[in-house]
Amino acid sequence: MGVIQHDVIIIGAGVAGLTAGAILAEKGYNVALVAKGEPTACLSTGCIDICSLDHDPLHGVSHLPDEHPYHLVSRAVIRESIEKFKESMAQMGFSYIGSPETNRYVLSALGTFKTTCLVPSTMAAAPQDEKDDLHIITFSGLKDFYPSYITARRKNASFSTYDAGASTTMGLATNFEREDFLEKFISWLEKLNIREGKIAFPAVLGLESAGMITKKIEERLGRKVFEIPTIPPSMPGRRLFNALKDYFRKKGGMIYWSWPVSGVEKTKKIIEAVTSPSEGRPKSLNAKAFILASGSFVGGGLTARRDTIVENIFNLPVLVPGQRDNWFDSDYFSLNHGIGKAGIIVDSSFRPKEADWENVFVCGGIIAHTDVLKNGCGHGMALATGHAAAASCMGYIK
Amino acid sequence: MINFEHCIRCTICVENCPVFRVNPDFPGPKQAGPDAQRFRMEKEKSVDNWVLLCSQCKRCNMACPCGVDPAEIILQAQQRYGLQHPRTLAHLLFANNYYLSALGSLTAPVANKVASTKIGKKIFHAMGITTYIPFPKFSFKTMKSEKKKKSKAIKKVAFFYGCFINFYRPDIGRKIIRLLESFDVDVVLPEQWCCGLPALGNGNLAIARYFAQKNAASLSNYIDAGYDVIYTCTSCGLCLMHDYPGILEISLAKKITENTYDLHEYIIGLIDDGYIEPQFVEVKRKIVYHIPCHLRALGIGYPAAKIMAMIPGLEYEIFDDTCCGLNGSYGFKKTNEETAVQLGTRAVSLIKKTGAENIMADCGSCRMQLGGLSGMDALDPAEIICESLGITDEK
Repeated sequence: MGVIQHDVIIIGAGVAGLTAGAILAEKGYNVALVAKGEPTACLSTGCIDICSLDHDPLHGVSHLPDEHPYHLVSRAVIRESIEKFKESMAQMGFSYIGSPETNRYVLSALGTFKTTCLVPSTMAAAPQDEKDDLHIITFSGLKDFYPSYITARRKNASFSTYDAGASTTMGLATNFEREDFLEKFISWLEKLNIREGKIAFPAVLGLESAGMITKKIEERLGRKVFEIPTIPPSMPGRRLFNALKDYFRKKGGMIYWSWPVSGVEKTKKIIEAVTSPSEGRPKSLNAKAFILASGSFVGGGLTARRDTIVENIFNLPVLVPGQRDNWFDSDYFSLNHGIGKAGIIVDSSFRPKEADWENVFVCGGIIAHTDVLKNGCGHGMALATGHAAAASCMGYIK
Repeated sequence: MINFEHCIRCTICVENCPVFRVNPDFPGPKQAGPDAQRFRMEKEKSVDNWVLLCSQCKRCNMACPCGVDPAEIILQAQQRYGLQHPRTLAHLLFANNYYLSALGSLTAPVANKVASTKIGKKIFHAMGITTYIPFPKFSFKTMKSEKKKKSKAIKKVAFFYGCFINFYRPDIGRKIIRLLESFDVDVVLPEQWCCGLPALGNGNLAIARYFAQKNAASLSNYIDAGYDVIYTCTSCGLCLMHDYPGILEISLAKKITENTYDLHEYIIGLIDDGYIEPQFVEVKRKIVYHIPCHLRALGIGYPAAKIMAMIPGLEYEIFDDTCCGLNGSYGFKKTNEETAVQLGTRAVSLIKKTGAENIMADCGSCRMQLGGLSGMDALDPAEIICESLGITDEK
């Protein structure tokens, strides 16, 4: 008992895992996803970086080093993964704008630009140059969001502070979901007589209905409105996670929360089941194939020991970027950290190289040579490899 | 195990905390848990009364990517605080909810009448108990008065029905018995007490342990005689599976956890083993399946959802991001009323947006809250299964 047959088990509830899961579930496979905790996607800005090295992200991709996993995915699949993502997010009421042909900017809380590709509709109006004049709204007591950083960098910017009775991003977003609060807030805004062409907010304009709230403020004020990503707790990151998760479930996927994988059952070249610690009888889930999408270090897929790096689920061989001295550059902002290359080397079928397993596929941040920070390719790479790994997995279990 | 050092301060737990969303007095699981733990010294009296604002929904534990269990750290702090400070009347009453309910049930006609009058409500308020949703109605005929049917079935279960079913909704309990009997499963009702969770939630470790030891001894006898234990209330379940071996340190806990199942998990198992092939008949309902926080925390997936998928005609949508806010006795305390009402109202407004006709939840307290605030019928999954199979609570 306690063992139920699945076609595929996905390990990890991040962008890659949920994407791969949704594709398989949509095709009618019986998919379960197990998660130890919530993914690092919740900590992200919610923006989808494909490759930030060039104004044309796909052009940027073609200039990445040969070992980069993007080269295992065709341009067509990258495009398809982006289109599919936009389509599914729109269905979940959390629209994205942008195209894989051009990168765009979002304004950061420091007043600098961050290069990305797709942005939530709530960030669509972010300025793309120094020209736009902005009025920034902040909230009393909100930590780590100081508009003076922005006004110090931009000429035509000023700000006002609103006392919302909450001082955390989560508390503010919850307030914005209440109609009475939103009404009161908008009438306060109207009295400010804002002259600037655009109004900027920290990204706290609701959780479930951010798109509608942004629109409502735009209509009432007759001004373009956009959100500026905050450090975690990041509402756009959570909205992204919620939408991906709900989409996966809508397609028929099942999620097991509080299910850290602690062991595997195997015969020869096949993984039969994964197990999870339990105070009582063993918890076990079996499947025909497994997709490893457990993320890198912060996500919990990889653990760095003093001299080596290990993969935590299947104990797959890990690319370790030389001696520990090479893991980190002395200048943090150079982003030339060897550790960014650590991960699992995969072949063109997204199976781990130099491992025996026929039915294990790998996608997302745990893959080697991604260098996510340096290349600005986090979520985009997760989408593309999620698609590719799911396709390869389907070919196997057919 | 307390492993607060593993916290990397990512705040994912904070994003998941329902209380933090609506109550600015609660600093959130990160600060109340791992952050504050550094300053909690064995020899010093605890001063952080805000730990009592935590509802123990366990969402922070489930969210943490680093294996820190903020809710467990806070639970221990709550017990310490409870031990070192005078308890309020409401805390004492709810810790002893079992006796309170037993009394209410014994005097059901009178007790229900009193609870619904103005004076009754005044008494409740004076004791620090809220009445924004009606106090559940006591049932005069509890599960304990059920007669055992003789059976020669191979599968045998001891049914841990829990206080809610026993004192307030024994009709659901009876339906579950009929359901299992229709599956050719022998059902017994072992001698049982409150699981201990309300006492833990009200900072009263001693009472919780007292109940837990009595239950463990009783259930253990049945396990020795070849019975599996099943629970239907997911909070009782979490207490048996998680707190008995954990904070309550019950010596028989291992045996209990190895042989205890969620009702729907058990039914799925019977189907999986080919022991039964239930012929589900169409149920034309559109429901929202509200996942109780403690079902999610059990880490067994959502077994009832698997059964719902087998019922023709049933349309259901799973909601597992919204805590109903009541959390057993938590929301019945005056100090938590506002938190509970805000969370409940939000959950109800999301449910209403779907156009569903009914709410379904495994947990009686979730049903009370969501049903009470929405005016919709809130059903137990077992009620829907019974509807589909034509089973009633009458023999």
